[in-house]
Amino acid sequence: MNLFVAAFGFGLVSMSVIAIAAVGFTMQFGITNMINLAYGEVMISAAYLAYYMNKAGISIWIGMVAGALFGAVFSFLLNRVIYAPFMRKGTANLGMVIVSLAVSLMISNLLLPIVGYYSVSYQEDAGRLIRLGSIVLTRDQIIVIGIAVVLMLGIHALLTYTRLGKAMRATAANPTLARNCGIPTQRVIDSVWLITGALCGLAGVVAALNADSFAIANGSAFLITILAAAVLGGAGQPYGAMIGAVLIGLITELSAAAWSPEYKEVVAFGILVLVMVLRPQGLLAKRGALAAAG
Amino acid sequence: MRGFEPFKVVSVVGAIVVLAACGGGSPSSGSGLGSGALLVGVIAPFTGADAALGPAYYAACLAAAPSINNNGGVGGRQVSCQKFDSRGEPADGVPAANAMIAGNPNLMAVVGCTSDEAAAVAPIIDRAHIPMFCMTGQTEFNKTTLKYFHRLVPADIYDAYAMVGSALYGPGHTPYKRAALVFGNDIGSQAFVAPATNAFTKLGGTIAINQPINLAPGTSYRTEVAAMLATHPDVILTEALGAAGTYLKEVKTQNGGTMIPFIGTSATIDPTWFQQVRDAIGVNDLVKYYAGVDLGYSFSGPAYDEFITNLNAAASTFADAPKYKQRGSTLHLYDGIIMTALAMNATNSKDPTVYNSKIKEIANGTSGATVVSTYKDGVAAIKAGKSIQFVGAGGLNSFDAYNNSVSGYIWVTYDNQGNEVKAGQMTPQQTATIANAGGI
Repeated sequence: MNLFVAAFGFGLVSMSVIAIAAVGFTMQFGITNMINLAYGEVMISAAYLAYYMNKAGISIWIGMVAGALFGAVFSFLLNRVIYAPFMRKGTANLGMVIVSLAVSLMISNLLLPIVGYYSVSYQEDAGRLIRLGSIVLTRDQIIVIGIAVVLMLGIHALLTYTRLGKAMRATAANPTLARNCGIPTQRVIDSVWLITGALCGLAGVVAALNADSFAIANGSAFLITILAAAVLGGAGQPYGAMIGAVLIGLITELSAAAWSPEYKEVVAFGILVLVMVLRPQGLLAKRGALAAAG
Repeated sequence: MRGFEPFKVVSVVGAIVVLAACGGGSPSSGSGLGSGALLVGVIAPFTGADAALGPAYYAACLAAAPSINNNGGVGGRQVSCQKFDSRGEPADGVPAANAMIAGNPNLMAVVGCTSDEAAAVAPIIDRAHIPMFCMTGQTEFNKTTLKYFHRLVPADIYDAYAMVGSALYGPGHTPYKRAALVFGNDIGSQAFVAPATNAFTKLGGTIAINQPINLAPGTSYRTEVAAMLATHPDVILTEALGAAGTYLKEVKTQNGGTMIPFIGTSATIDPTWFQQVRDAIGVNDLVKYYAGVDLGYSFSGPAYDEFITNLNAAASTFADAPKYKQRGSTLHLYDGIIMTALAMNATNSKDPTVYNSKIKEIANGTSGATVVSTYKDGVAAIKAGKSIQFVGAGGLNSFDAYNNSVSGYIWVTYDNQGNEVKAGQMTPQQTATIANAGGI
């Protein structure tokens, strides 16, 4: 029983990491209609930036901020320089997916000679262990959970209470109508890439910190988990991605406690397949913050 | 329909024969060694979870090539090295092997083929009649029927036995009684589990937990470590390449900052593994709590001297090459390539169906053979009409009927700089006791 409680605690950490990444990914898709398969590589690029800063003696928490800024600028430029021109030419959705896959491969192959193939770790003392009954977490893990909670509340507030959030929702629902109503959709889309890019960069550093050591191959591994959480919750729905992250994060850890840990991802993705069979649109489709009215 | 014109046919055939004769001879001797560049294929994981393995083998080739090329090549033919990435998966290894063979008719040997992909790629390489030196310890190759397969490392069961020996008889500690087995869920790592379990339990130990772990990048292993610590092991026996740093750091974190002794396979004698684990748990804990097993190497002698000179020089091509100066697999594959080149010289043939069997003869030696340690000395002895035995950078080799070469184990640790330090040696009596208990 204690192991299950402990696994639940670890699941809270995992779901926090997945949520930060998945919400950014799903917002990108929901508002810009772009399935950005290079998301994982932007994450790992930010993680490496924080690594080199950390290696130079800079705190990982400052590196995390730098990673977020890097992710914002990198994602913004990716859209402006590569994705947007293709979209303006009317490239079909499938074509855009292939373009983003190509970008993903280009980033990882450009990074490889710089960072090497081997794993690296942040030099960060995880802090003392904090015990809450059978749940044992480090200071850093509790900070990661706190960051995720603050960000999720922030995203909720942004989408619900701000003019930008409302403009994002309008653009997501019908970009042509939004433009005709006077919403500067191009600026909204630029803002989306900056905000989701910042989430992406931050998630990269948090995920690398969470995994203790990371390598270039982590980029594609991150993407699989993010995709799973986003699809499970309902593609394009930030609240759905949050729910997807909770389910994936908790299920992987609890199944590792219940069965052989080598099958933990099999269980999590098995549930994803089951949900897709029973509810192909995902858990929260048409109910999330970015859903079209009606 | 045009009529048959014998004169024209004879003329064309004659021209082809003349052209073939002009192009096929050795520039140096006109021998059967052929002409043009020769290639050594390095098929191994260069990406994926086991990406740390391939570079060690590539470094071996980069060191061996100048040993040959700077001493006349193989009948004047220069040797080069090329990587073929198996990604550590049979599904990727098979097309890589097919592409390697189809695209390179000048392949003289193949090195690498780890446990991840050997079962899939070795038969392909064998059908192409290319001698191969595989870094796999899989039991299925103990009595292989593949004629072109060579293995210069013992089967995994011996690595597992050496780990059990370290746990029960190793220096600096009382015998460990409860062991946690933490091995990756890949084919290669799981090969250690059954022999280690059999030997350890039959000699009075208890397997506290057998935990196959998923090596997927980004996994945190928190629940796995909590489950493992709950069984209160005295020692961890492990090979989880790529995940070792993450797993062991989690052990230290959840165990209140204190490590548990851990014993690694010979694959953990690796600069990349050292760097990962050092960065994760700190060099002091790595030096204090780690024990490993390895084959006994002298790291000295003329063969090793030439190896280390070439390995350092290879840094201009592959910056990490010098890191593999004490990596057993790098030493062995270096020797394998040199022996293949010598076998080609000894048989005066570029045909692997001719020179393949000579490799074993050169490794094991025959009565009255001249012992040589470098390619240069070997070629000179062959030209003098002598039979040779090659004792290379990795020491003496002794192939059995299945082209498996087995030598003795030592127990090792690391120093602060990541150099291997010999801590003890398994006696033949201990080896026999554990092998009998292991019984596989």
